[in-house]
Amino acid sequence: MEKETIALPHKKKEFLFNLNNVQKNLESEGAAFHLSIPKLQIARGEKIALIGDSGCGKSTLLDMLAFISRPTHSETFHFQPEPTDAKPVDIGSQWQKRHISKLTLLRKQHIGYVMQTGGLLPFLSVRDNMNLSRHVLDLPEDDTVTHIARELKIDRHLDKLPDTLSIGERQRVAIGRALAHKPAVVIADEPTASLDPYSAKATMTIFVNLVDDLGVTLIIASHAWEHLKKFGMQRIYHNTRYMEQRTESIVIG
Amino acid sequence: MRKISKLAVLDYVHEWRISICFVLALATVLGPILVLFGLKFGIVGNMINQLVEEPRNREIRPASSGRYSTDWFAVLQARPDVDFIVPRTRNIAANIQLKSEKSPYILNVELIPTAMNDPLLPHVKNPPTDYTSLIVSQSTAKKLALQPGDVLDGSISRHYQGRNQRIHLPMKVHSVAPVSAFSRDGAFGSLALLDALEDYRDGHAVPDLGWTGDKVTKTGYYTGFRLFARNLYDIDPLEHWFDEQGIDVHTRANEIDTVQRLDKNLSTLYWAIAPIGLIGFVFSFGASLWANIDRKRKELSILRLVGFNTLDIVWFPILQGLITALLGWLLAIVIYQLTSVMINNMMTSQLEPGQEVCYLLPIHYGIALLITCFSALIASLLAGLRSATIQPAEGLRQL
Repeated sequence: MEKETIALPHKKKEFLFNLNNVQKNLESEGAAFHLSIPKLQIARGEKIALIGDSGCGKSTLLDMLAFISRPTHSETFHFQPEPTDAKPVDIGSQWQKRHISKLTLLRKQHIGYVMQTGGLLPFLSVRDNMNLSRHVLDLPEDDTVTHIARELKIDRHLDKLPDTLSIGERQRVAIGRALAHKPAVVIADEPTASLDPYSAKATMTIFVNLVDDLGVTLIIASHAWEHLKKFGMQRIYHNTRYMEQRTESIVIG
Repeated sequence: MRKISKLAVLDYVHEWRISICFVLALATVLGPILVLFGLKFGIVGNMINQLVEEPRNREIRPASSGRYSTDWFAVLQARPDVDFIVPRTRNIAANIQLKSEKSPYILNVELIPTAMNDPLLPHVKNPPTDYTSLIVSQSTAKKLALQPGDVLDGSISRHYQGRNQRIHLPMKVHSVAPVSAFSRDGAFGSLALLDALEDYRDGHAVPDLGWTGDKVTKTGYYTGFRLFARNLYDIDPLEHWFDEQGIDVHTRANEIDTVQRLDKNLSTLYWAIAPIGLIGFVFSFGASLWANIDRKRKELSILRLVGFNTLDIVWFPILQGLITALLGWLLAIVIYQLTSVMINNMMTSQLEPGQEVCYLLPIHYGIALLITCFSALIASLLAGLRSATIQPAEGLRQL
């Protein structure tokens, strides 16, 4: 399959992520997993759908893009959070030098992460959970959270604790937190997989609309393309070969 | 640090049920250790206090009459292990009949020589030095209805040149001795007074008092002494010294030895039990903190994900451990206080006023807090560091 570079036509060089030959090897209980990303370029403002079966390494790729998981090998792993001419951050070398706090700072400032379920602190109200991503950055208390909550239709729950909310509502709180600090990119790992089809569709619609409004880059992992294709997203596949005791997965952008 | 501390406290309050369990678990182990130590400290402390405070425990008494020169007294007086020494005249001569206008009785009392810093009279700053002042015992004061400053008539008799003679000496009450000083009818007076009485009885003249008799030939010898060692540990060497001099003395060495052995045995017993309790406490506390971090792994991963750094993640469980340590310690003190009040009330009848069989000094509470916080710190630090080495992704996928 031909490797295709995905970029907005008028801003050819504006890559948020620029990965070249990045690999991750995992091994557990004798089964080896090998994830290979020959080339992946994600431009600012893009909406990327990462499609693949469970077990193909979607989460592993997302964790690497969120600077949570360390790549085993990387030739190029650049991150350019701001639309400036400044040199992009070399994530690969940050990992190599074990500058974990630098990576943590980058994640705190530029990345919002939505997990499949949960990810909320049970001891904080919905408002404080959403505000957490702003709080850690010392962003001013303004009406951002209220505004996003209204968009997500959870504004009446703002002062409740997460355990009084339905699973769908909790996911929206998690989406709200991922967006509240206006990050460069939101990474979501099957954010609607645990919802019923109806609320999954509703939540995804609100999510994508909100991302569009805020002009945030979006990377969503999903096992089904049908859920996402109507949102005008770019598609990235996992080409996965399952062998005895070894799984090889190649990301094809 | 301020942010993560606030979150740690919020989480601690949110999980108040489990927090209470941790605090209770800590307090129920620490409380009894405090009680045990309080008992040991109180009992032993009381024994030692009693030994030290009771001056009779330091007294060395001659077993029989001897012949001691003033030089001999000077030698003993100079010894650093001797706290107090005063010569005694013959027992048979050391008494006097007292009469007070306030009472119909005539009382025959024993006279005891006293001097500066008499351990039996710790409150007397200026003991009698003249012939007429007496510090009367409680028993004497009661029978003759005496108060300090009262006037007395003292009289003694002798058989001299074939006739019975009696002379009277106007005396006054200097003060009343505490009941612990002398329990029978008695009075403390100056050595000069006792010398004079002995001289008179021996048929000598006492020119100072105008008592006639044979010409005085000062012998400079006494038949006994009152001696108090500086402290309990000085008794043994002094007893040795008397042995070498061929002087047979009585001491309370045996009683002291018994109490000291009991103290030693009690301490041994305590140090056999307390470490087991302490080790158990450190381990149970450590285990609960360790388990707590396993439980908190999910939340710690979330905190990592939103951008708290490793130090914050390690601090989160440590702060919670320290809060548990502090609250558990406070509760343990409450448990200890209630128990000690109960024990002390139970024992009131066997104690002197103000004495407590179970008590601790403020420093002991401080040490308990230090040990508690230190073990909390170690346990949660170990566990915290372990959780810090986990990549956040691993924690996230366990949801």
